[in-house]
Amino acid sequence: MNQRKVMKLWFAFMTVFALFLAGCTDESSGNGGDDSEATEITLGFYSSGSADEKMQELIDKFEEQHPDIKIKTQNAPYSQFFQKLDTQIAGGTAPDVWLSDGVFVQKYAERGAAKDLTEWIDQDLNKDDYYGLDFNKGPNGKYWAVPQGIQIATLFYNKDMFDEAGVDYPDESWTWEDLKEAGAKLTVDTSGKTANESGFKSNSVNQYGLTFFSITEGWMTVLKSYGGGILDESLQESIIDSPENKEAMEYIVDGMDRGIFTDPSDLQAFQSAMSPFPSETAAMRIGIYARVLAANETGVNYDVTVLPKGPTGERFSPVIANSWIINNDASDAKAKAAWEWVKYWVSEDDVQKEWAELGEAVPVKKSVAQSDMFLNSGDKPANKQAFLESFDFAGTLDVNAVWSEWVKKTGDNFNRAFLKEASIEEALERADKEVQKVLDEFYENQ
Amino acid sequence: MLGNTRLQKNTPKPKMVKRKRKLSHEGKWGLLMVSPYLIHFIVFIAFTLLASLYFSFSRYDMLNAPQWIGLENYNKLINDPVFWKSLWNTVYFTVLFVPAQTILALILAVALNQSLKGLKFYRIAHFIPVISSWTVVLYVADAIFNPRFGLANDLLVKLGSEPKQWLNDEALVIPVLVAVAVWKGIGYMMVIFLAGLQNVPEDLYEAAEVEGAGVLKKFRHVTIPLISGTTFLVLVLSTITTFQAFEQIYVMTGNSGDITAAGGPNNASMVLMLYLFQQGFAFLKMGYASAIAWVLFLILFVITLIQVKMQKKWVHYEK
Repeated sequence: MNQRKVMKLWFAFMTVFALFLAGCTDESSGNGGDDSEATEITLGFYSSGSADEKMQELIDKFEEQHPDIKIKTQNAPYSQFFQKLDTQIAGGTAPDVWLSDGVFVQKYAERGAAKDLTEWIDQDLNKDDYYGLDFNKGPNGKYWAVPQGIQIATLFYNKDMFDEAGVDYPDESWTWEDLKEAGAKLTVDTSGKTANESGFKSNSVNQYGLTFFSITEGWMTVLKSYGGGILDESLQESIIDSPENKEAMEYIVDGMDRGIFTDPSDLQAFQSAMSPFPSETAAMRIGIYARVLAANETGVNYDVTVLPKGPTGERFSPVIANSWIINNDASDAKAKAAWEWVKYWVSEDDVQKEWAELGEAVPVKKSVAQSDMFLNSGDKPANKQAFLESFDFAGTLDVNAVWSEWVKKTGDNFNRAFLKEASIEEALERADKEVQKVLDEFYENQ
Repeated sequence: MLGNTRLQKNTPKPKMVKRKRKLSHEGKWGLLMVSPYLIHFIVFIAFTLLASLYFSFSRYDMLNAPQWIGLENYNKLINDPVFWKSLWNTVYFTVLFVPAQTILALILAVALNQSLKGLKFYRIAHFIPVISSWTVVLYVADAIFNPRFGLANDLLVKLGSEPKQWLNDEALVIPVLVAVAVWKGIGYMMVIFLAGLQNVPEDLYEAAEVEGAGVLKKFRHVTIPLISGTTFLVLVLSTITTFQAFEQIYVMTGNSGDITAAGGPNNASMVLMLYLFQQGFAFLKMGYASAIAWVLFLILFVITLIQVKMQKKWVHYEK
């Protein structure tokens, strides 16, 4: 009967459909016979707009130089990229080499997803030629990734605001106390009074002395230059509840209390916590290199200098080395091809220069970072040298496998102290306990 | 399909055979027609459900194979103050949101069920937030609740009181979120109510009028019982959506879209879905996140069951 035929057709359709579904999950079938010699690797990176184009250009050049390697790219905006990457790793379909935010390198390394690159680095790279290689080293001395570009923080200041307030520009002699003193003169309330005048209202500030934001561009710098910090050298023990941290926190809370520094609720008022400096609502910021992009875009008249000293003369500049990671599951051939890509990226002057032109990061290769092309490109800030000088007292954000989690615990407690909902002692004590719990839970099961 | 064929063979009475054969024929077609959905269900839903159940008994960081740990995740949940807080916040959110939205949507629907001038405009105006994305809605919300530039604080200051930190105040954050959620969701529920209202037969109102009932009495004794089925639907839907609230809270309380910053201050706006997402995707604790998901499912299941049981008491269905 006719209906039978319809049924058969229907089943045929469903079979095809099912096969199609099955096919979806398995994208990596063998490539055609034409270039059987070529190794195809997948390269994953997070990105946006102009960076994508540049990346593609550099990939094309790489393929020209390495006819035996073919690169397939996978990219997505930042937050989606890492979510997708984690699920891909879970499913065994992750790229052979991917770009990782510096703060996530240890997350992959300690969970066995990143390939140990120590031998290859020892063999092929002259460590003295590069910035930031050591920032990816775990406590055991192994290298898990190679930097793609370096973020390092300096003090950004708005020259126009300083001129208007008649305050001298910050320089290398500044301590955090100097910063607060100058900041007070640069903090203006709605009636035009500055923070060191009587009658100043700290709850209706129009212009802040310093915008202060979360860990990287906020508390970590102050804590460390006061001799404190979050984790000890093993990166498995919390050292939060210390007198040094207490002193640093007192300095910060006082600044927020007086309206000189933005507190977390002030930042809530801006659509983005990044915006007070480029929108000229704050005279100073602690900023990583990438922040020059937003500042240049809005045309702020600014420059940078090294971050202030703590009370004992100690300095600290936080570093995030965004890096290439090679998939631990990649076959030998693919891992080797991926290594070619990493070498090409860091060691070729042209590549480093072209990428530096985007202005996203300090180049990894010292010769390029110290060249005129980077230091005197004509774009603001004039004192780009300050970023390089900062390497002398640079350190990581105590990055380990559970970084996001302990940052959340610490940040939540610190914010309560910043908003005066908890005393500094309470906040430090609670943060210490909660962070230690996070660390213990992870490392006890390793 | 197979079950039916076997039945055919085993059924002794000829009459029944005929009926069964007919049924099974229709059944086959029915199954056939729903097969795309069934396959989708088995592959993408049933399988993943079972997988997540398995993960909820495992330590699973996504990067390594899951490790069976029995009830450990559930044990941890019971002793996790943030879990209890987010459960409490979720319930609090629901308790504020569901009645507020239902009552306001009903009032709005009744108002817009009249023959007004510009009726379409009003109906559309209330539906716009429904079809707008959360991002758009949140820009509007920000214009009102922004602590520096917002309308709400402008008003407060004009009335002589202190400006408030709407989203940074532990006591205010959930009510503010609920207000915005009601504003966004009300149009949708209003449309459902409107459909219900238009099914109420005119003659019932006329009869009530003859009996001397006024506007309020008619509403109380005719409208409310006759749209109780619709009200029930609205209640169940709203409860489920609030338990699954995520995007709004993620964007409104997280700084610059940072998932780990959302849920503050002091976890005052941490809800179950957000907690689940954070644990699973930001901290790679997929096993723990799966346990939260199953607890969330059980809670929703029980609540819906109670709602269904209770409906006999007050929902009126026309025969």
